[in-house]
Amino acid sequence: MEYFLQQALNALSTGGEYALLALGLAIVFSVMGLVNFAHGETITIGGYTMYALFIFAAPTNAWVLLPIGILAAVAASLTFERVAFRPVRNAPATTGLLTAFGVSIIIKNFFVTVVATRPKAVPTPDWLNTQIPLGPVSIQTLQVLEAVVTFGALIILLAVLRGTTLGLSMRAAAKDFNTVRLMGIRANQVVAAAFFISGLLAGLAAIFIIARRGSVDPFMGFIPVLKAFVAAVIGGFGSLPGAVIGGFVLGITEVVFQVILPDKIAGYRDAFVFTLVGMLLIMRPQGIYGQKLELGEKGG
Amino acid sequence: MNTLLRSLVGGIGLALIPVLIGVFVMLIGETAQVRTVNFFLINLIIVLGLQVSMGNSNIANLGHVTFMGIAAYGAAVLSIPITIKATILPDAPFGVSEVQLGVVQAALIGIAVSTCFAFLTGLVLSRQSGIAATIITLALIVVVHTVFINWNELTRGARALYGIPIKTNIVWLMAVAAIAVVIARLFRDSTLGVQLRASGEDFLAAAAMGVNVTRLRLVAWVLSGAIISVAGVMYTFLIGSISPKSFYFETVFLTLAMLILGGMRSVSGAVIGAVVVTIGFEFMRYLESAPEIVGFQLPQIFGLTGFFLGTIIVLSMALRPDGIVGNDELDEMLQNRVRDRQG
Repeated sequence: MEYFLQQALNALSTGGEYALLALGLAIVFSVMGLVNFAHGETITIGGYTMYALFIFAAPTNAWVLLPIGILAAVAASLTFERVAFRPVRNAPATTGLLTAFGVSIIIKNFFVTVVATRPKAVPTPDWLNTQIPLGPVSIQTLQVLEAVVTFGALIILLAVLRGTTLGLSMRAAAKDFNTVRLMGIRANQVVAAAFFISGLLAGLAAIFIIARRGSVDPFMGFIPVLKAFVAAVIGGFGSLPGAVIGGFVLGITEVVFQVILPDKIAGYRDAFVFTLVGMLLIMRPQGIYGQKLELGEKGG
Repeated sequence: MNTLLRSLVGGIGLALIPVLIGVFVMLIGETAQVRTVNFFLINLIIVLGLQVSMGNSNIANLGHVTFMGIAAYGAAVLSIPITIKATILPDAPFGVSEVQLGVVQAALIGIAVSTCFAFLTGLVLSRQSGIAATIITLALIVVVHTVFINWNELTRGARALYGIPIKTNIVWLMAVAAIAVVIARLFRDSTLGVQLRASGEDFLAAAAMGVNVTRLRLVAWVLSGAIISVAGVMYTFLIGSISPKSFYFETVFLTLAMLILGGMRSVSGAVIGAVVVTIGFEFMRYLESAPEIVGFQLPQIFGLTGFFLGTIIVLSMALRPDGIVGNDELDEMLQNRVRDRQG
């Protein structure tokens, strides 16, 4: 029972991390049709900012360190949009995707050149890794926080999307950007808002990722974002609820494989998970929440 | 002139570029330059394979190097002498440690295995459009890389496999690259290629005209996988020692930048991109190695080549998304120009 609870919590926190990242990808994609491969570098930049802050300022209080890391991720996300993605905004999806891929390579190699290829330790506050005894089981603060923050972020995001004009225009832009602009909404504002939210979610995820790894390296953003992409594809690319569901489905699947695979082949976990995803997509190419493309709709 | 003949002539004309470069360096080049051209030719074959699928179907493919890896490992484990296998792969499955095939058989089996794998993955991929397909190619390369690294009995894990007979030389590479150019060109201009390009321009319109997009994508994917597998086998027998990291993102970035800069919609673009990026890349590598330029000692700068490739991709996407060459092949452009002049 204790083991089961522990694994359930694992699944929930891993799934939460994927959901945060997948949501950031989905929101940008739904608004401007960009497949943001540079999303992982948002995480990396957030991480290195915390590293630099720790080296040069050595703040004793984590409550200073963490928000600045998130802020850096947001700033990175907005900068990518302004510098790299605006010139290709109206280009075909492949052009945007490859641009983002290029940005990702540049940022990775920037850190290789300026810092180092090897990981750099970022100490995480102790309270993130303490165990809370809870009846018969003891759980890690980090995991609880991760699940709570994910759900909190989702609820706030939902409130913003449903309750504000900006949120409404973002949801509308996902359906038909031109009509939104005809209604007098500024395109740049909507796109910037999407990147802001995406950067914020990536910044939150970055904290959890770094707390778990305890270090930063130039390639740290790649695997989490790859997983997030897979999660978004499972859910149906571009669908916001689909991204969240896909994130949790992927997290749960990973933990299940982690538990059932014998040690000898545990290294192949991702291979098993991705193969399963491939089979899901044979049966349902548009993902869980996706819809088949109709003539004249965005996508493809 | 009918289409097939025109395509063949154009392809052969284009194939002269790698052949001439090869002959030139054979005649006057030093060992290091021959080496550079060898790798250029291998990369060119990969880029041509990539052009067949990505260029025609207009679906970005980030996992093409997978097939290079599978074919390379397949050919390597079959051709390494038994005595060496006893040391490095003592417990290989499928009785691999007891067999030693000739280079040709090993190469053919490697290519066949890899092409079959391309067919199986193609079954999933060809049903996916655009973005989802790209992400699956990315997942594909990560999965296969995981297997290379973990399957210690067969691949020796992350460590290098060595003792592979070295049989490839620049003449073979030139010949294969030239054939690959012609094949890619013929495919592009075939009915299949034209229909696939139409589906890349507008999926729904092509499907509405009765184009079986799924089947075409599968055909292109398998052909592309086969060409890249050949590159993998050539690579194995060129350097005689392989490890998983040769078949991962460094090669993906390099070949992708080549295709994008040249222009993925034409075979000419693939060839020209490969030439231009190779020159730039070699120059960056020279800078990276802390050279002394007119008396100044430059520092060693890691990551410069990667930085260069990323910049190429971003700039060509922003400034010239169709690449240097654009939509038409070089000979088609020439022909159009002649026709315009004649009025």
